[in-house]
Order: sequence, then C-alpha cells, then structure tokens
Amino acid sequence: MARRPELLCGAAVVLGCALLVVLKVSCSRAKDVTMPAKIPVNFFSSRSPVIDLFRGQLDYADHLRQDSEVVLYFFYAPWCGQSIAAREEIEHVASRLSDQVLFVAVNCWWNQGKCRKQKHFFYFPVIHLYHRSFGPIEYKGPMSAVYIEKFVRRVMTPLLYISSRSKLLDFLSNYEPGVLGYFEFNASPQPPGYLTFFTSALHSLKKDYLGTIRFGVITDKQIAKEVSLMRSGTVYLHRHVNNSLIYPSEVMNYTAENICKWALENQEMLIRWLRPHGGKSLLLNNELKKGPALLLFIPFNPLAESNPLLDEITKVALEYKNCNKSQAPEPAQHLRESDSPDFGSVVPDARTKLTETFSITEYPCCNTVVLPQWHSISRTHNVCELCVNQTVGVKPSQVTVPQCNFLEIEAALNSFYLQERTFFQVASNTIECSNFLSFYSPFSYYTACCRTVNRGLLSLDNSKKTIFQNLEVAFSSHGKKVKKDAQSSIPHIEDRNYFVPDLHVNGTNITGLSCRTNKTLNLYLLDSNLFWKYAERLGASRAARVKEFAAIVDLKEETHYILDQNQAVVRSTLENFIQNFSIIYSPLKRHLVGDSSVHFHVQHVITEVTTNTFHEVVLLSEKDVLLLYYAQWCGFCASLNHIFIQLARFLPPDNFTVARIDVSQNDLPWEFMTDRLPTILLFPQNRKDQSVKFPEDFSVTVPNLLKFILRYSSLPSSASDLESCTKECLQKEEIALQQRRTSHLEREIEKLRSEVSAIHQTHEQLEAQLSESRAEERRLQQQKHTLERQRKTLQLHSEHLQTICEQKNKELEEMAEKLQELADASENLLKENALLRVLVASMERKLENKDENKKYVLSEEMLSNDNTGTIPTATDRLHDERVDINIDTRVTEQSKENRTE
Amino acid sequence: MLRSLYPLLCLYVLHVPGRPPQGANRGEVVAGAAAHEVDAALYRERVRAMFYHAYDNYLAHAFPYDELRPLTCDGQDTWGSFSLTLIDALDTLLILGNVSEFQRVVDVLQEGVDFDIDVNASVFETNIRVVGGLLSAHLLSKKAGTEVEPGWPCSGPLLRMAEEAARKLLPAFQTPTGMPFGTVNLLHGVNPGETPVTCTAGIGTFIVEFATLSHLTGDPVFEDAARKALKALWKNRSDIGLVGNHIDVVTAKWVAQDAGIGAGVDSYFEYLVKGAILLQDEELMSMFLEYNKAIKNYTKFDDWYLWVQMYKGTVTMPIFQSLEAYWPGLQSLIGDIDNAMRTFLNYYTVWKQFGGLPEFYNIPQGYTVEKREGYPLRPELIESAMYLYRATQDPTLLELGRDAVESIERISKVECGFATIKDLRDHRLDNRMESFFLAETVKYLYLLFDADNFMHNDGSTFNIVLTPYGECVLDAGGYIFNTEAHPIDPAALHCCKKQKEERWEIEDLMREFYSLKRNKKLTLKRTTDKSEGESQKPSVDTSSEDGRIKTNLKNNTKRKISPLSCPNQPFNSKLEVMGQVFLDNT
Repeated sequence: MARRPELLCGAAVVLGCALLVVLKVSCSRAKDVTMPAKIPVNFFSSRSPVIDLFRGQLDYADHLRQDSEVVLYFFYAPWCGQSIAAREEIEHVASRLSDQVLFVAVNCWWNQGKCRKQKHFFYFPVIHLYHRSFGPIEYKGPMSAVYIEKFVRRVMTPLLYISSRSKLLDFLSNYEPGVLGYFEFNASPQPPGYLTFFTSALHSLKKDYLGTIRFGVITDKQIAKEVSLMRSGTVYLHRHVNNSLIYPSEVMNYTAENICKWALENQEMLIRWLRPHGGKSLLLNNELKKGPALLLFIPFNPLAESNPLLDEITKVALEYKNCNKSQAPEPAQHLRESDSPDFGSVVPDARTKLTETFSITEYPCCNTVVLPQWHSISRTHNVCELCVNQTVGVKPSQVTVPQCNFLEIEAALNSFYLQERTFFQVASNTIECSNFLSFYSPFSYYTACCRTVNRGLLSLDNSKKTIFQNLEVAFSSHGKKVKKDAQSSIPHIEDRNYFVPDLHVNGTNITGLSCRTNKTLNLYLLDSNLFWKYAERLGASRAARVKEFAAIVDLKEETHYILDQNQAVVRSTLENFIQNFSIIYSPLKRHLVGDSSVHFHVQHVITEVTTNTFHEVVLLSEKDVLLLYYAQWCGFCASLNHIFIQLARFLPPDNFTVARIDVSQNDLPWEFMTDRLPTILLFPQNRKDQSVKFPEDFSVTVPNLLKFILRYSSLPSSASDLESCTKECLQKEEIALQQRRTSHLEREIEKLRSEVSAIHQTHEQLEAQLSESRAEERRLQQQKHTLERQRKTLQLHSEHLQTICEQKNKELEEMAEKLQELADASENLLKENALLRVLVASMERKLENKDENKKYVLSEEMLSNDNTGTIPTATDRLHDERVDINIDTRVTEQSKENRTE
Repeated sequence: MLRSLYPLLCLYVLHVPGRPPQGANRGEVVAGAAAHEVDAALYRERVRAMFYHAYDNYLAHAFPYDELRPLTCDGQDTWGSFSLTLIDALDTLLILGNVSEFQRVVDVLQEGVDFDIDVNASVFETNIRVVGGLLSAHLLSKKAGTEVEPGWPCSGPLLRMAEEAARKLLPAFQTPTGMPFGTVNLLHGVNPGETPVTCTAGIGTFIVEFATLSHLTGDPVFEDAARKALKALWKNRSDIGLVGNHIDVVTAKWVAQDAGIGAGVDSYFEYLVKGAILLQDEELMSMFLEYNKAIKNYTKFDDWYLWVQMYKGTVTMPIFQSLEAYWPGLQSLIGDIDNAMRTFLNYYTVWKQFGGLPEFYNIPQGYTVEKREGYPLRPELIESAMYLYRATQDPTLLELGRDAVESIERISKVECGFATIKDLRDHRLDNRMESFFLAETVKYLYLLFDADNFMHNDGSTFNIVLTPYGECVLDAGGYIFNTEAHPIDPAALHCCKKQKEERWEIEDLMREFYSLKRNKKLTLKRTTDKSEGESQKPSVDTSSEDGRIKTNLKNNTKRKISPLSCPNQPFNSKLEVMGQVFLDNT
C-alpha cells in the first residue's frame, strides 16, 4: 500500500481518520456519546427594535456604541428564565425609546462568543448603560419596563434644567433629595466645573441605582438667588428638615466622585423607597432594626408626571419630621407663598397650616411612670403619664429646644410623688388627671394622668377599649381634677364617625411628632405593583381593589398595626395613624393576620378555626373543644391528620368539637399562642379559661388523646351553679341531659348501624375469601387425590420391585450354597489330590522296588483306574457353575435398572 | 393528545415577546409595571408536556431497559434490569392525574418484572427506586381506581413485589456490624469478593421503605435490619458528633472522613427526619437534632455548608454539591424555615450562574470544580423549592421553578427525551436520562406549580377504608416522600399495625367514655351534697396520671421539649419573602 515513502505519512493520517470514523460509528452505541450545546438562535424577534447579537459578538457591540449617545446593553443567557421574563420589558422600553437610545442584546453565554470569553457574569440578565464614553452604569432596579425606562431617561438626561421659578419649586418640593448646581453659561461655551457636575450626576446613578438623588442645574442668576447661590459653579444640596448644604469645594476636591459621595452622605432621608431586588438581602432587616417603621404601599409609576398620593405622603412626612419650629419655614413653602397665587391653590391648606405651626409654641413634655408597688396610688392605678407644661409665651430662655429636658422630668417626678395625696380612689376604668405647680419654676406646671393597665385575658374583649388620644383635651388648666371615661370621648382610629370631625383639631398635632415621641417612626414607601406580597403578609386583603396599604411594623415588640383597609390612604388618615401609634397607651391594636379564605373541611369532621372565628368556635362554644395548633409545613403535624380525623369520628359532635388552627396563617392573641407545633389544647366546657395542654412527652395516639379528654373534659359543672339553681332549672337540666342522652344514643345506633354495614362488607369480603379458599381447598383435595393415586402406583411399583428383589436374593442364596458345595468339593479334591500325590510318591518308591513285591503292582492299577473316573466329573460341574454366575450377574443388573427407573 | 399540547404552548410562549408594544397612555404603562408573577398554571402544563415527552420516548425506544439514552434513542440497563424508569415514573403518572396509564403500567409490571435474576444491584438504589416505587404505587393504587384485593393496604400484588425485592436485599445486612454491603447479587446474595466499604447514605437510607414494609406486611425483619444499621452509624459517629463519607461495614472503620451534608451522606440525615415523622419516633429525631447541632457548629459558613474533617472539624473542601440542595427542604419540614430560605437563596445564585447546579461548586472561587461540571437534571433544589413554597408562598420559589423549566427545556431537550448535561460550562449533553428525572425532577416541578394537587392535602379530605381489622382513615395528607420522591402515606402504616393494637383499647375507652357520662350524672347529684370532694379529685388524678396514660417513651426529664415538634415562626417571618432575610434578634 505504501510503496511511495513520501505518501506514507499522508496515508497514515487518512488511515487514522478512517479508523476514527469507524471507531465513532462503532462507539455510537457505547456510553460516551455526547452532543455539543445547541447553536444559539435569535432571542429577540427580528422585528424587534433591539439588536440581537445572539452569537455574543461583543466587539461588534462595542463598534455599535460609537453611533449613539446612549446605549443600553442587555446581556442575557438564552436559558435563563429571568432573561426571558425581562425580554418583554426591554422590548417595551425599546419600542418607546428606540429613536434616542440604541438597544443591544448580547448573548453572553454562548461559549464561542466573545462576550462569554471576556465577561464573567454571576447572573443574568445584566443591563449596562453607556452615556457616550461614560459607563458602564449597571441597572439593578426592578425588571419592569417603567422602571427601566425611567432609569434610561435618567441616563439620557442626568441633569434637570431649571429654567424658571416654578421648576425650581417643583424640584425642591420633591420628597427625594436634590442637588443643585449653578452655572453661568454666558461667560464661556461651557462654564468650569459643569462637566464635572454632569459626570457626578451620572456617577451617582452607578451607586444609587434607584436614582433617589436628583441633580438639577440652574443657569439663571435670578433663580439661583432664590436658593442663595451667588457664584457660578457652586453646588447645593437641598434638605427639608435640616439646613441645606453648599458643597465645600475648599475642603474637598471638586471631582465627580466626591460630589456624589458628599451628596450620598449628607442626603436626608425623609421617606425611603424600599425596593428589594429579589436576591438574598438584609434590606428590611437593617431598616426595621432601626426602630418602628411605617410601611406605605402605593401603586407607583415612575414615569408619571405627578403622583398626588405621593405628594400627600411627602407632606405628612415633612410635618412629622419637622422638629425645629423656630427655624424659618421651608424654602419651598416660602417661595410658594411669595409666588403667584396659583401655587396657593395647589396646596390649599399650606397657609393655614403654617400659621398653625407658628401659633403653637408650647409642647408638653411627657413621660410615662409605672408606679412602684409601695406607692399609695398603685392600689388603684398603676401607670401615670406625667407631663411638664409651660405657660405660653414667657419662656425663661428662648434658646431651649422644645424637647424634653431630663432635669425637668426629674423634678416633675419628685413633685409628683410628693403630691400623691391629690389623687382619689376611683374606679379603675377611668383616667384620672391632676395638675400641680412646679416647685422650681412659676411658669410651668405638671400634669399627671393615671390609669390602670391590665393586660390579661380580657384584653380580647372589645368592651375594654382603654384608649385615649389627646391628653391636652383631658385636663383643664386650672389644676382641677378631671375624671374622664376614656371610652366615651376618645376617638378611635377604626371609628370613622369620631375621626372625621376631629380631623381639623388633630391636624396639626403631627407636626414635629417624630422628635417628641419616644416611638419615632421611620417612613418607607413600597411600590405595591411590585411588592404587594409584603402587604399581603401583613394582612392586606388579597382581593383589594386599590392596592394601597399602610402598616406600622415594630420588629422589637414583634407587633404590627395596620391602617384599616376600608379607609383610603390619605393625609388625614395617615396622620391619625401615626398619632395613634405615637401616644402612650396607643389605641392601636396589634393586627392579627388571619386566613380569610374560607376552606371547609370537606367531610366536616374537624372544624377549621381562623383568627376571626377563634373566639366564637373555641371560647364561646358550649362544647368541649380540643384544639390542634398546626402548620401545614410542619412534618410532625401533617402526619397526625389521620389520628385527629379518627378521634373526631369517635367523639360525639354535640358535646365535642375537634378543631384545628393553622397558626402560620392565623395569628392569635399572645395568651393563646404556643411556641411549638403541634400543640394540643383542651378548652373544657364551662371552664374555657382553664385550658389544658396535652403533655408533650406522650405520644399522640387515639387512646392517649381519649384518656386525656376523659380526664379533663367531663368534670361536672361547679356545685355553686347548682345550688343557685331552683328545682325548675334542675328539671330543665335533667331534660337537657336526657335529650343529650337520647341524641347520643341515636348517634350510637347510627354508629352501630354503620359498623354493622362495615361488618357486612367485611363479611362479604370474608365470604369471598372463604369461597376462594374453598375453591382452593377443592383444588387442593383434587391434588391430594392425584397425589395419593400416584403414591399408590408408586407403592405397587415398589412392592413389585421388592418381590423381584427377594427372588433375586433367593437365587443369590442358592448360588451361594452351590458355591459353597463347589468349594467343599474342590477342597475334597485337593485333599484327594494330596493323597494321590502321596500315593504316587509311595508308588514311585515301590516301582523302584519292583523286584521286591509284585502284589503291590496290582493294587496300584486298581487305584489309578478309580482316579481317572472321578476327575472329569468334577471339571464338568465347574463349568456349569460359571454359566450360572453369568446369568446371575445379568439378573442383578436388570433389577438395579428397575430400581433406578 | 397531551403531547400535542406542547408545541401549542411553545408557540404561545414565543408569541408573547412579539406582542405589539402598546400603551402610550398611562393605564397601560402602569399595567406594565406590575410585578412579573410566574404564571403557575402555564408552567404546570409545560411540566406536564415535559413529562410526556420523556415518558413516551422511554416507552417507544427504551422499554424494557432501565433507562432511556436520549441521544442515541435507545435503552440501557443501569441499576439492574427491572425497567427502572417505568417503576420510578409510576406514581408521577398518578400525580399528573393519568389514571389509565397508571393502571396499565401496574399490570405490565406485575407480569414483566422479575427479581430472580443474576444481577449485581446496588442495595441503596434498588431500595429507594424499586422498593420505594412499588410501595408508593401500592399505596396509591386505590386512589388510581385499580381493583384492590380485600385486605388492602396491608396486602396486594405490588406490595408482594416490593417485599420480594426487599428480601433480595436482606443478605447484604448480614455483617458483623449490621451495616449493609453496598452491592448484592439478586440471585446469589453477597458476592464472595465484595468490598466492605459502603457510603454512609448507603447504610442509613432504608428506614422509610423498610419500616413501611414491616408495618404493612407485619414482618418486622425489614425494620429491624434498617434500625440496626442506623444504630451502628450512630454509635460510630466522631467525638464532635459528625459522620464521615464511607465506612468499612465489617470493621466499622471510617474510610473517607469527610463530613458534610452532601454526596455519600445526604439521605442518611433525610431519613432520620422522615423516619421520625413517619413513625413518630423520638429516638430518630433526637439523633438528627444532635447531628444538626454538629453540622451547624462545624460545617456552616455564611449559610453554606462545607466539608470538614469528621474528627477535627477543619474544613477540607469549600465546595457546594448539587446533592446538598435537599437540605433546605428538610429544614422546612422541621420548622427551621428562615435558615432554609437563606441557604436556598445561596444555592439559587449558583443556578442563576449556570442554568443548573454543577455536581461540585467551589464557593470561594465561584466556579465549577474540574471533572464535576455536570448536571444530571437532579431534583434536589426543586424539591427544596416545593417544600419551602408550601411553607412561605414566596414568589421567589416559583421563579426558581420557572428558571428550571426554561433551563431544562432549552438546554437538555433533545428529540428523544431530556439529556443529562455533561458540562455546565458549555452545556454539552450526555447520552443519559436518569430515572430520577421522571420520578423526582418532574414530580417536584409539577407539585411546585400545582398547589391543589392531592399530594398537598392538608388533612381536609380523607378516605375511609374498611379492612377486616376495622376502618382506617387514609389519604389524609402528610405524605412522606422517600429520597426518590415516592410518597408514603403515614396513615397506611398506622392502619396495618397500630390499628389492630389500639382497637380494643379504644373500644374500652369509648365504653368508659359513655359510662362516665352516666357516672357524671351520678356524681353531679353527689357533688351537690358535698362540694369538697371535687377539689380533691384533681390531685388524685395527677398522682395516678402516669398509671393512666401509658407511654413508651423513655425520657425522664419532664419539661423537655418534644423533639417531634416544630418551633412556631417568629414575627419577622411575615416579611421574609422575596429574598429578604432577617438576622436573629440576639
């Protein structure tokens, strides 16, 4: 084959290839068949405005970037669910912005593409934005078209051009922090520092991907004056509550990074948006650990020009956080007032609000005192609210902040203890207030309001609404004692009738509340389009038409309160909500999240209890109630289902309720909660307060549960009840008992009937089994018969064989005898032979002595004749015997064969 | 017909992005801003289509072999020779609601499968796949409408098959320690030269199936063998409370001393918990709780679980294995949901990086480990998602389900089924479709998207079955999935064993119950005369309490928390959804 040496090499290669092909073909049924990944295809449709580089051509993508001012890169993996979900959103944005922004999608997974080789992403999709050469700015917000569009627009125009006073007002009145730069454009085409400012705005988007800090630029001198910016190139950070700041360019270098950092550090968080990104995060943990938080869920559209609800919330927040009253009012409001009157109409109550704000110069400074046991008042009341009031106008010092002074409270406490005699004993359900003068200052007096707080079983009862809202209303200024029933006059947040007329009275009380109360709230906003799940988990109804919801979450106290969902989330309700939370003895009640979806137990054996029905089913019911606390996810609970169903089927339903509550879906008041699941409690009839817990260290079985019930349930009702009973009532009871007995008997009959039917069924089953087994038996018997028959034939056979065997044995014995005879004969012959030999020898000797005696010769002849006659007969017999033995062996062989057969 | 559904769905999915963008007006935009909740019903149907694509191809090309080879469109025997994929997929058929096919397969199996074959089979795999599969099919057969023989669930043809298969495995347990060999010949028992080294999971993964068998058939030999093996492992744990990876079953010496929760150990821990739930067994649970403590102490770092030396507790491998992803699901069963969620979110990031979980993932490097880049379509992460979704209803978990469906369909779907991913870095495919894909992956995916499936029954429906021993409450939920996702109804175990024992006791108690009613009326009359007698009564009762309520528990401490319980969820669990986690309040 390889005659020409120069071709040898090539031939070897060809051969190798051929071999490989053959191998591959032959291996196609072997184990290591693999298939490379599928060739990528279009991810976006060809009609889409998005350029789809599905082979990961990153170099081409970079090339494309030069054509457009703003470019959005969408790095995706074709298998990624999130990319697929985001695709639609990106297309939506692209269709709206395609004339201004270039949208490029790059498959960054395809392992032969450039993108995969150069970039190393841990998740998909990744969105990068470039503003000319600046970038990449990664978008990390929600994968929702409106949010993406908003962000792209921010990258397109990072700076807002503020050309008029009204625009400035809009900019400043926004709840989110704003940074303003003032640059004069008349001097040069681009004033110094402008570019840096522009870059810092872009830079901020890198870190602050939610875009909370807005950047604006003022070009007009007159407008700049409004915010007291004089020099071109100054940067101003606007703050609502605290003083606004000017960028300290002499301390820090004027760079984009620094400006951005400065703004981030000094920004004021009036209200924060919470936008969990979906991955593992401690966002809520970190925010809620700071203290109680008001979470406001509102549907939000980032693209909308205005959001009236958000404006209202901003106002509430401003009021709430606005502590420093002596300070000049907000620049924004200031401007608004001096501006054209149409601004006043936008905020109709701005003026009145301001005047109210100024009129209030005194702030009660209050402290809660829990009375120690030795105190005389503690017999009747155990908690007092102590307030320091200062007389209007004549303050000893103008400088003091109207916050609580520790010394003042201390002094008040002292005098309060001294003044204890001024209190009288009163019924515990009232609040008692008393005013007394301070020892040290003639301008202030103290107020003390005492009441009893009793946290017990009864707190579930609605009748005990010990709530009050407004202490100032409760006492008169003349040092008189004022007794007041809390329930009658204090509006409750859930009570709309009260709440509406009080609106104007209470409207101002929220001002600066955040500094006065020791339960300061942090305010947060959540977009209910994206995060309604949290609202649901806090108790918002799933079917809510308007997705607005407000809740106060107190992580430390492990409680939360919600704003009644029947109320609209508007300014007044929010203010009331905050106020009710802030005051001591808050009228807000811990919200218990309950499962509202009614799911019946299909076979109606076990009663499903929820938060709403707990009271009715468990506490008010006239039956013994066995309540199982469970959660669907708890493996130990779910495997008890069948035991409870069985138990419930045993117990009479007219005296017993077997119930269960899913505590992961249904909150209960603390006193009814358990910390482990499953827990089984028995609420005995007539003694619902004395619930008994099934001991944890006993296994949950039907007999154990029955014993438990037997032990604790059926104790008779207390004797005192019966003593107070007249004969009539005794009779009645007896009748009732009898009725119960009859119904019970009826039930038992029914049960017996069902049992009978069950027995019938089992009987049928058994009968079927029996007939089956009978058939089996018959079959077996038949088999037995056949077996017996077989056995008989076998027996016959063996008998037959035995007879043959015996015959053979006999023959053998005969043969043995014959042999014996033969042996004897031969022995005789031998003997004779020996004798003959002796004779022969003696004859020979005699022959030698012939001459001696002739008589001897005669006798010898006679003897030899005898010998020749006997010898042949002996040999004949021998021959005969040999033949016989041959036959014998043949017979025995035959018999052996028979046996083996 | 169902198969034809798939292209339709596909068309629909493809059609969505092509929808003409509309809505310059505000209302439309707001609608666009709404969160993208995963459409569970849509994905459920896609999972169904996935199942039939794989199942039909198995029947067409691979039956009666064990597994389908999707690239070459043929079959091969892998773990024995008993049509493994068919046995494994049997209960998935029923969960998908295909009753007729279930019945057909039951008939096929009864005729076709023979365990008297000269095959060396893995004891572990045969147990979880074959015995487990047959047991669950047996217990579900009534639900599937097949004619069951009287005495069901305590007898039946599938149960007898399971028993036969399990008996073939019993010779492996004949070792000095009671820990089984890894391999057994189904015809001849343990081969003479068999290696005595078995992985920990291969020793401790029997209690669910074997206890079920023992309870149903009444023969305690299975449960005893499984318990003996478990106890031997427990006895041989290290001083710091960890178990290694492989052990010599003859000498009880640890051969591989890496301790972790993943490959080689995984289902041992799983079965301690599931066995405890199934049998209401405190001993198993306290074993697990002890291990759990040691695992938390030594192997847990930042919600990852690493591999450590079992005696010293030093980290040996900082890797995450795809088999470890069952752990969050297990934690959710015992109520440790916040930890479970945190770990789950860690694992989910790995999925997002590759579109699957590599067998080994190096945590510090954030990449796959050499030669362990494959993803054989394992179910563990999806399993955890299903359990956690039951507990939290967190939409993030549905997102994982969505990602899993998209990934598997786009990466591993081939003409003849779904192929194992050989290398997650470039998504090369291997010529194999393991039987757990149909038994577990598809089942858990389907259950994740099908909230109303009877498998999620919370006890609101049940069936009454009349057996010759009395009536039994069955199908009341609380199904325990074995490690191959074959559900076992705990009520059935109770029905066949405890029911008989308890029956007469209950009868007596009920009689007492009724007579006490009458007594009550008597005492009622008496207590009107003397009210003091009543106050004494409770004290008398407490003294006789131990006598009255008999218990088989051994613990002496009275105020101890029962290990068979879950903690109630803390307040902040209300907000622990969509990726949010909370640190402990300490």
